[in-house]
Amino acid sequence: MIVANTFFTRTVRTSPAVMIALLVVPVLGGLLGVLLPAFGWFPALGATEFGLFGFTELFATPGIERMLLLSYGTSLVSTLLAFVITVLILASYFNSPWLKRIQRLLGPILVIPHAAAAIAIGFLIAPSGFLSRLFSPWLTSWDTPPDWLFPHDPYGLSIILGLALKELPFLLLIALGVLAQPEIGKVLRQQHKVASSLGYCPMTGFFKVILPSLYGYMRLPILAVLAYSSASVEIPLILGPNTPPTLAVAIMQWFNDVDLSLRIKASSGAIVQILVTLSLLVTWWGIELLVKKCSAAWLTNGEREHGGMIIKLITDVITFVMVSTIILALLGMVFWSFAGFWSYPNLLPDQFMTMHWQSALTQMQAPLFNTLVIAFSSTLLAIVLTLFALESEQQSNKTISAVSGLIIYLPLLIPSIAFLFGLVWLFEQVNSQNTYLNVIFAHLLFVLPYVFLSLANSYRRLDPRFSSVAASLGAAPSKIFWQLKLPLLISPILIASALGLAISFSQYLPTLLAGAGRINTITTEAVTLANGASRRTSAVYALMQMLLPALFFILAWLTPKIFSRARV
Amino acid sequence: MQAVNKICQHSFAGFYKALCYLLLLLLPQQTVFAAESQSNAAAMWENIEMRGAKQSVYFHAWGGDQQINNYIQWVAQQVKQQYDIDLHHVKLTDTSEAVSRVLAEKSASNHRNGQVDLVWINGANFASMAKHKLLALDWADKLPNFALTNPENNPAMTRDFGVPTEGMEAPWGQAALTFYYDSLKVQQPPQTLAELLSWTKQHPGRFTYPKPPEFLGMSFLKYALIILNENQPEDIKNKLYQAATAESEAQILPALWDFLDQLHPNLWRQGHHFVSNGLALRRLSGDGELQVSFTFSAAEIPSAIARYDLPDSTRSYRMLDGSLSNIHFVAIPYNSPHLDSAKVVANFLLSPEAQAKKQQTSVWGDSSVLDLSQLTPTQHAYFDMTEQQHLSATIINVDNTRLLSELHPSWSAVITKQWLARYGVQ
Repeated sequence: MIVANTFFTRTVRTSPAVMIALLVVPVLGGLLGVLLPAFGWFPALGATEFGLFGFTELFATPGIERMLLLSYGTSLVSTLLAFVITVLILASYFNSPWLKRIQRLLGPILVIPHAAAAIAIGFLIAPSGFLSRLFSPWLTSWDTPPDWLFPHDPYGLSIILGLALKELPFLLLIALGVLAQPEIGKVLRQQHKVASSLGYCPMTGFFKVILPSLYGYMRLPILAVLAYSSASVEIPLILGPNTPPTLAVAIMQWFNDVDLSLRIKASSGAIVQILVTLSLLVTWWGIELLVKKCSAAWLTNGEREHGGMIIKLITDVITFVMVSTIILALLGMVFWSFAGFWSYPNLLPDQFMTMHWQSALTQMQAPLFNTLVIAFSSTLLAIVLTLFALESEQQSNKTISAVSGLIIYLPLLIPSIAFLFGLVWLFEQVNSQNTYLNVIFAHLLFVLPYVFLSLANSYRRLDPRFSSVAASLGAAPSKIFWQLKLPLLISPILIASALGLAISFSQYLPTLLAGAGRINTITTEAVTLANGASRRTSAVYALMQMLLPALFFILAWLTPKIFSRARV
Repeated sequence: MQAVNKICQHSFAGFYKALCYLLLLLLPQQTVFAAESQSNAAAMWENIEMRGAKQSVYFHAWGGDQQINNYIQWVAQQVKQQYDIDLHHVKLTDTSEAVSRVLAEKSASNHRNGQVDLVWINGANFASMAKHKLLALDWADKLPNFALTNPENNPAMTRDFGVPTEGMEAPWGQAALTFYYDSLKVQQPPQTLAELLSWTKQHPGRFTYPKPPEFLGMSFLKYALIILNENQPEDIKNKLYQAATAESEAQILPALWDFLDQLHPNLWRQGHHFVSNGLALRRLSGDGELQVSFTFSAAEIPSAIARYDLPDSTRSYRMLDGSLSNIHFVAIPYNSPHLDSAKVVANFLLSPEAQAKKQQTSVWGDSSVLDLSQLTPTQHAYFDMTEQQHLSATIINVDNTRLLSELHPSWSAVITKQWLARYGVQ
């Protein structure tokens, strides 16, 4: 398509470059800011000689193997678990109305920030938690809370539970999103029908026909989940052990330690964290190869039925347990937020009151304001950049190159703990004093990839004949963009905005570091309070963290409906 | 004068003696100078107040307690009214965050425009900032209200964990280790360290302490260390208040490790997991998982009861064999762009009005650092307010136990390192 050279088209044409630069410079610059101290360059401490002493010190840390193993193990197991359950749910409820219901139930979990989810699960599985109260004293004869393993168990089982419950809805929605794409979903469904007509049981048909094709589309999101979970801080901090903690948590503690020389060790740790993440990705790839090799014969052996009923039963049980876990965790949190004193083992609080909500809401105004300003600014930026970049794709008639496509996911694939500390150093170097801008910028790094991910498909899928007709009628590219494409895409744009807001709401480490601690948001307050004294206040903040994104998703979902009704 | 005396004692030097007399003759004149310099100081302070007005002060202070946050909010209103200063409370989860920030600024050669104007600090954080020259020097002793702490007779005001403060930080409050328990579940709480050990044997899993280097956990270990070395000869005991050496470590620490080896199997989670801070202790006490616990800010207990975070039957007490106590301070980083405003705020924090408000249990309950005998009757009146108190606000044994002073800060690092090596991986 020949495109006129106007201000609009020029802006659009440069936007992919701007977007890539906005993502690459901070991430690579941040990595540099960690790489130098990791190898001993830290002038503020008088360390100006390159060397490996940071790493020597790191590996001399008591329990370092356990830390590495814990990071590696919890993220691998939780991702595997989430993936397997996702596949089981898809296989069992494929073409069944239950799939929609489960999706509707799990969807909201996706937008619950990690910190809030960890707090809720912690409340559930603690010795004095809802689960233990549910069975006490009638079954367990406990009248004081038991001194048991969870949370903070040394094997990281609580972390695995927390991570898996957070990852599962993400993977499931990604898979459903792929299946919802007409060119893929339709084909796969037809293939499944063919398989059924050939006498395959629906479950076996799913495994043999759909999964191999579907997996290809899910690989990148899975790797992102794996990378994220290996270096996440909130869940291991709130649910994990501390003798020793996971590597990422230890790095954060070293960075913040009184003993400033630990900074060098922390930087070395950040480099090792990247290696751990890489080795996880390689492991996943290895498992993938292995499964492919082992299942090749099975896929083509022509067998029509492989214990479909048993798998279905197992899936039913898993789904039931999972859903009730989520419901109980949420219920427990709601109870805590309204509880007076709640003596053990009573199932319900001794009194109910609104006092915690009242006092929290009066203290919450400033953080709430910050949360909203930052989220709206970073999301708006992300939406504009994404739309322009996608428009430039259409004007130049080719999709963003594979390299650029990967770069968009850079902030999701590189452990944020590894480059965020460097990013703060970078802000210092350019003397960026406006903490608000710094935080918005840091949030953009995480909001942008998700917004892009969420918008790209709808934008690319928009029928090109609309714009061809408009152009042939003499409409300028800018007019086509503003008056044709955007109104047609209003629904996905609003959903992407809600997603962007939710991502921004949930950011803990970027807010804390880029904001120099000056900017409090609901999330930073919630994490601070999670380690604090009051379960009640903590529950209020965690619920608030859940309500905010939910509110905007509902708005995003309702607005186009109201508008379209008004238009009719 | 000490130096003069020493010189006079020199036996063979008549010359010095003459010089001493000469100096003595000069003394009255010196007092004149002193009076003059006093009015000078007042003028200088007025200048500081003037320059400090209409600016912002970013006060980096631990923000994990709502009561303290509310008190700082009150301070912000007051300094706005009285000095036209905008005080912003930057809530830290750990004071070391501020330390790291100033260090990062120094490493980026940001020597004038730092983000931290005032920081709530003591102990190891102070030692670390002082060591790396990250603090403004020689200002705290010139605050007009500093004299009210009676520093000549109260050496604790100018020593932070044994390290001389040299005017780098102004005292703000003081605290002592206070234990608390649920009187419905525990009839006889342990009143000495030895009793605590036997109590945990009878009630396994109902006591724990935060993982070092966390402040409160460290304080418990220091309390234990002092008590366990009580029967050592005086010269060995004194080493606790000097920098740790390999020799003193070998003399002092084994008693602590022996004690902990016995204590840990009966701690909460058999000592496999330690909570991260004192607030977690309070939460677990509220849940009923812990039955005896401790804190540095005794006033948080009645207020936690009022918010239903602790049972109504909670009572607080001090250990009979001693209670570790320390002073906390505020300091100004060397690169604060609002040095004068920060001084004005620090001075206000030391005012009888602010100190008396802080001491009320319903506000914060943090003991004042002022020497009440130094106050004028009007100033004293601030402290005379009586308040309604919950039973837990009355600390049992408060008058019949001694206060144990803080160890030299180097011990914290030593204890943490060896603790982590022994118990950090389980």
